Amino acid sequence: MSDSKTEVYESFVEEIPADTVKLDVKNLNFFYGKHQSLHNVSIPFQRQSITGLIGPSGCGKSTLLRALNRIYALYPGQRAEGQILLDGENVLDRGMDLSLLRARVGMVFQQPTPFPMSIYDNVAFGVRLYEQISKADLDQRVEESLRRSALWNEVKDKLHSSGLGLSGGQQQRLCVARTIAVRPEVILLDEPASALDPISTAKLEETLVELKADYTIVIVTHNLQQAARISDHAAFMFLGRLIEFAQTAKLFDNPRATRTADYITGRFG
Amino acid sequence: MALLDRRSRRKAANGVFVTFCTGAAVLAIITLFAILFSLVVKGVSGINLDIFTMSTPAPDSRGGLANAIVGSIMLCSVAMIGAVSVGVLAGTFLAEYAGLNRWTNAYASVVRFLNDVLLSAPSILIGLFVYYIAVKPVHGFNGWAGALALGLIAAPVVTRTTEDVLKLQAKQLRESGVALGAPMWVTIQKILWRASQGGIITGALLAFARISGETAPLLFTSLGNQFMNTNMTKPISNLPAVIFQFGLSAYDDWQRLAWVGALLIAGTVLTINIIVRVLSQEQKRS
Repeated sequence: MSDSKTEVYESFVEEIPADTVKLDVKNLNFFYGKHQSLHNVSIPFQRQSITGLIGPSGCGKSTLLRALNRIYALYPGQRAEGQILLDGENVLDRGMDLSLLRARVGMVFQQPTPFPMSIYDNVAFGVRLYEQISKADLDQRVEESLRRSALWNEVKDKLHSSGLGLSGGQQQRLCVARTIAVRPEVILLDEPASALDPISTAKLEETLVELKADYTIVIVTHNLQQAARISDHAAFMFLGRLIEFAQTAKLFDNPRATRTADYITGRFG
Repeated sequence: MALLDRRSRRKAANGVFVTFCTGAAVLAIITLFAILFSLVVKGVSGINLDIFTMSTPAPDSRGGLANAIVGSIMLCSVAMIGAVSVGVLAGTFLAEYAGLNRWTNAYASVVRFLNDVLLSAPSILIGLFVYYIAVKPVHGFNGWAGALALGLIAAPVVTRTTEDVLKLQAKQLRESGVALGAPMWVTIQKILWRASQGGIITGALLAFARISGETAPLLFTSLGNQFMNTNMTKPISNLPAVIFQFGLSAYDDWQRLAWVGALLIAGTVLTINIIVRVLSQEQKRS
């Protein structure tokens, strides 16, 4: 890889109408201790759409995602500078209530992580944290979340058996159900399909496309075809910098940066 | 020929090594079976209803081990309640909160080191220590002191296993709880503890097995009691102390009771070990 210090990084960011922006990242710098892993990243995420983050390993996609709900704050030594505006409010502010923020900005991880409890309790877990609702309402919320994540038909007869007994693909959709049950505004997904077989992946993608009607979705993926299939906008990152952000079709068919073109045609990465 | 020579030498060396290993294993098993065999032979014959209904007798009279059994159960239960409460919380601190900042990190290293020291401290030392802080000041042997001594032996085991099993949980399980908006303490209690349940229970049962046969610390603290006593502020009878006293006595019936007591403890420990095995198998499967 070439010397990152002397090289100039051109960045092409397509504007999107200001009133459709849900989450606006401005001049974000991210540090793991002394090592800087994001450099001046600015990127808008549009509401009711899917934005795909692509780029080679170690380019900062996951780091960017993990900054958006400040999950990185679990680890001392990791810090972010700049602005991440969620409906105009800076997520990085000191006074931010992190638990509340994470209830608004949900996250699904690479490995399915069902909690060691029943399927029902997995989905109800987050709801019970913030809402005092009746059993009937909770039942309904659980069913609705499982339906929306396309898992209901497979689990409706065994809601009270352990979530650990499901297949990998089902577990991941359970994690999606668990996340949407708390009715977040944004859903972050960190390579959610990388541990899944093609059929489970297709089901998960279908689910995401349906969910975007109500949510702002940001997905990190290694799989370019996946980004092309489901995302509305795509961002290509490289060495901790945002190289190009555009409508997915444009980015794939007609990239403006040479690096983007090289990456999507498979010349490196 | 040199080549063939070397090969046969290698084969011979291998044979010698295998023989030594097998021999050592056989020796260990023979010893274990010899102990179990003598326990069963000398113990089983003495088991009858009196053992569980009558207290330790005077020489040459009818009696059982009821006071010692009840005492041991009480001392061990109180000790385990304390040890599990302290051990689980301390282990959770070491696994989950030690990395918070420089100070917690330094503090955790000290706690971890001292815990390891305590883990291998001779139990007679602990007995002596508790004697000076909980027996001498109140001018009398008592059950609380015995439970405290046993608890001090059990707590480091629970602390260590709790830390180890929590550290085995995937980082992402922690993050998923937090990512749903659960504060860290809720994530620990509702998700991580539950996921580590099998391991923590295993640790607690092993600690229980360890203290169930401890004698030295009880001689300094709870002492023993010829009669049935459930008052923790007074001396309480217990199986190890009875075995110690009766086993060394000159009376046949006392010696027989000592063997029965030993059999009871061995049986309990064996049962616990089997439960632990089953639990850890289940842990592996999930």
